[in-house]
Amino acid sequence: MVAHAQRSPFDHAPCFEDMTSSLQSTARQPKGMLKETREVVALARKFKEEVMRPITLSMDRQMQKDPEYLPWEFVRKANEWGFYTLWVPRIFGGKGYNSPSMSYFLEELGSECLGLSNLIGVHYLAVVTMFATFNIRLINKLLREVEDGQKTGIPCLLSLAITEPGAGTDVEEVELVDKGNVGCQATKVEGGYLINGSKIFISSGHVSRWHIVICYEDLKNPSDTMLVLPVKTGSKGFSFGRKEHKMGVKICPASELNFEDCFVPDDLVLMNKEQNQKNRRNNKQTNSQMIDYVVSTSRAGVSAWGTGAARGAFENALDFAINTEVNGKRLVNHEWAQAMLAEMYKNVAISRLSYVETNYANGLCGLYKTIQFKPLFYYFKIVPKIVIDYIIRPIINLPVTTWVFRKIQLDGQTDAQFHRTSGWASLAKFTGTDAGVKNCQMALEIMGQAGLRQDRRAEKILRDSKLLQIYEGTNQLNRINLFKCLAAQGHSQVRVFEHE
Amino acid sequence: MLSEKETTIIALEEDVVEFTETKPTPPAPKKEAKSVDVKDVKIAAKKTAPRTSKKELTMLAKAASEFAKKMLAPNREENDKYPFGPFFEDALEKAFGVDFFHIILPEDMNGMNQGMSALSVTLDNICQEDSSLGGILFTNAAAQELMIQAGSKAELERICSKETVRDFLIALPVFNNPSEVKHLAQAKKTGDAYTLSGSLEYMVLGDLAGQAIIPASIAGSTRYSYFLVDLKDKGISKSEPILSLGLHACPAVDLELNHVKATLIGQEGKGSDYFEKMADRLHVAAASMALGVMKGSFKEAFDYAKKREQGGHEIINWSEVKMILSNMAIKISNAEMIIEKACKAVDTLEAKWETRSRAAALHIQDMACDLTTDGIQLLGGVGYMKDFGQEKRFRDAKHIQALLGITPIKKITFIENMI
Repeated sequence: MVAHAQRSPFDHAPCFEDMTSSLQSTARQPKGMLKETREVVALARKFKEEVMRPITLSMDRQMQKDPEYLPWEFVRKANEWGFYTLWVPRIFGGKGYNSPSMSYFLEELGSECLGLSNLIGVHYLAVVTMFATFNIRLINKLLREVEDGQKTGIPCLLSLAITEPGAGTDVEEVELVDKGNVGCQATKVEGGYLINGSKIFISSGHVSRWHIVICYEDLKNPSDTMLVLPVKTGSKGFSFGRKEHKMGVKICPASELNFEDCFVPDDLVLMNKEQNQKNRRNNKQTNSQMIDYVVSTSRAGVSAWGTGAARGAFENALDFAINTEVNGKRLVNHEWAQAMLAEMYKNVAISRLSYVETNYANGLCGLYKTIQFKPLFYYFKIVPKIVIDYIIRPIINLPVTTWVFRKIQLDGQTDAQFHRTSGWASLAKFTGTDAGVKNCQMALEIMGQAGLRQDRRAEKILRDSKLLQIYEGTNQLNRINLFKCLAAQGHSQVRVFEHE
Repeated sequence: MLSEKETTIIALEEDVVEFTETKPTPPAPKKEAKSVDVKDVKIAAKKTAPRTSKKELTMLAKAASEFAKKMLAPNREENDKYPFGPFFEDALEKAFGVDFFHIILPEDMNGMNQGMSALSVTLDNICQEDSSLGGILFTNAAAQELMIQAGSKAELERICSKETVRDFLIALPVFNNPSEVKHLAQAKKTGDAYTLSGSLEYMVLGDLAGQAIIPASIAGSTRYSYFLVDLKDKGISKSEPILSLGLHACPAVDLELNHVKATLIGQEGKGSDYFEKMADRLHVAAASMALGVMKGSFKEAFDYAKKREQGGHEIINWSEVKMILSNMAIKISNAEMIIEKACKAVDTLEAKWETRSRAAALHIQDMACDLTTDGIQLLGGVGYMKDFGQEKRFRDAKHIQALLGITPIKKITFIENMI
């Protein structure tokens, strides 16, 4: 009786903190983020109108005609607009816009063209992966090249190379990777590592200068021997393989990367077992945490794309309904059409809320925690460039800086916190991307014959949106991850990824 | 001396033999000589009409299946590149040669005189491999049916006597119900003659066929009529083939008409009646196309799941994969039952046969869209790539759903017909 009385109401699932990320954030979040986000959305809409809309359909058509085309022209244009440094913190040479605003940006651009939007967004997937290693010196080194790329007009994009011919879902989940069929191996040699193997489906691979490669020292024990190594295009032993012919998102290449005794020196190792020995968690747990840091942010971005696709489909269908007469009156004035369009609008709104809530969680206890800490947020906004160049940069290059960041972000994050960010990211990912496909299907139903034509755009959005249900972990994997991280919390009997 | 009809049959049989000979598997024993039995079907079909016996349907299914595996499956990726790659002329001609375009035509037009069961079983098997040819077959059958419903026998007979497939084919805007969205040309009557002007969107087979059926309104009439035009008429200009979601090798074009000589089909102002009567019958055929796509998608996913490993096991051994596959198989099993029942209802003119046909299409087309989404999902990344058939089936399923009009309006019409 007494024991029962002492139980806290918050001992019950769902965990109060898991339910209230946005509420907890209202006081803690810098107010400047709202102003910045408004600027970002305005910029995205301008770019969408001026640069994307005139080429969206013609580029898609061009790619159907010539699948080998590479979109250098667009990449240069995005580089001119500063999009490859916009969300890079100022201390690393970027413009330092807050990371959650990128999700709104991706939704805006995704509502016009997921392919073109990917050519900007997947660069940050690689950036985020570097950040998840918290190897501050190397992050600074590579991002300075990105900054130079913008200054010189020669774009420096980054790609993330993780998927392999024999392992897709397995490499997204540390609990599965040991059972998977991985083949990209790093062998320790004097002064560095030799990489051998292949990576496939690498978004933006052919147009990227650096590739952040996830590989393994022991292919039979990958979870405990994972390394994160950057490889530069043109390196000896590195080559591009085929460029995939996809159903959609055609303008953004999905590349095969081949490594044949490709040497990476020790001073370019972003993360390995040796470095992880200094962390609170063991190596395997740290690798899992690092992957979760990546997907907790990247899946919010994919959710934003799904939201964008859902929105693009909605806008397309609404426009058709307004301008088309069916059975003697405007389609938009048929009650059934209004109900369908309202459902589509709801799908957009709910999807947006899911990625926004995920970003709140990332700000509270995920990758954005440090950078959104109010004093640091404002300091990095106002600190003069001369101070960055002459005082902060030398500090960044000290090993102690990496040590401090890893203490705060890796050791400082509790299991419950990374379950929260990872679980919410999975929820947002499949909510947004399922909504994207669903809205496209509804748009095509509403539009009939017009929806089938490439020159009316709706069918392109459907083709594009389907990819979102697959990459960054299939939606099936994300459901299991949500179950593991949030839905089944507190139940010690639960096992996931166990073979039946 | 052989009659013209007998000569045609012999020619068709030679066609059958020709692609039977290229079959890589050894010939079947004589007793079970059912490999490509279109000629047998053709002869058997002539004895009974319009309902086809189960045996005849089985033979036709086998013939269509073998045709599809031999003539369509090997080049599916290449054929799908149209209009940026070559058109599958050879497959089209072979399909014409083995009478797939003659299934619903009466005997006196060299047809098989078969009902929707025969057309459906053919479309099902063709669409398991590549529904572009299914789209051509369907469009042409819809045009033939529309002319039959309108009583334009003489015109149809004239068309059916054409010797080449392109001359024989009839284009039709088969994705639009002109009563719903008024894509109509304008008809002008001078004496007993008509000319058409204006534009018409998404004319399916417009750049393949010899003639087209065009909905048009006659000045002063609130109802539309159907007209037959010669697509070689100098007053017709065609767009490039329209780049579309699916059925790439069943192309459509936009037409511009400038005082094009036209022949009225049936009676003035009766276009809507003819369309609805045609649609009553053809809906179940559209459902069969969707079923074929579903079967193709399931087969590829099932085969892949048995080979692909994830988490150290073939993915078919993970229960979530089993669940998805099971849902796919259940949908297919139900669709098969529904279509069989609906075809029988249509062919025997059972009570409410029109309802059966339309309900089958609305339900099964919807299922096909869901199923083909899962079909890609089970293959993961490769399912999204052109090397496999799943992405094409996903596109084709959605494309097929739009046959005969806007889906929600088809549903509204369905209930309105019951009120």
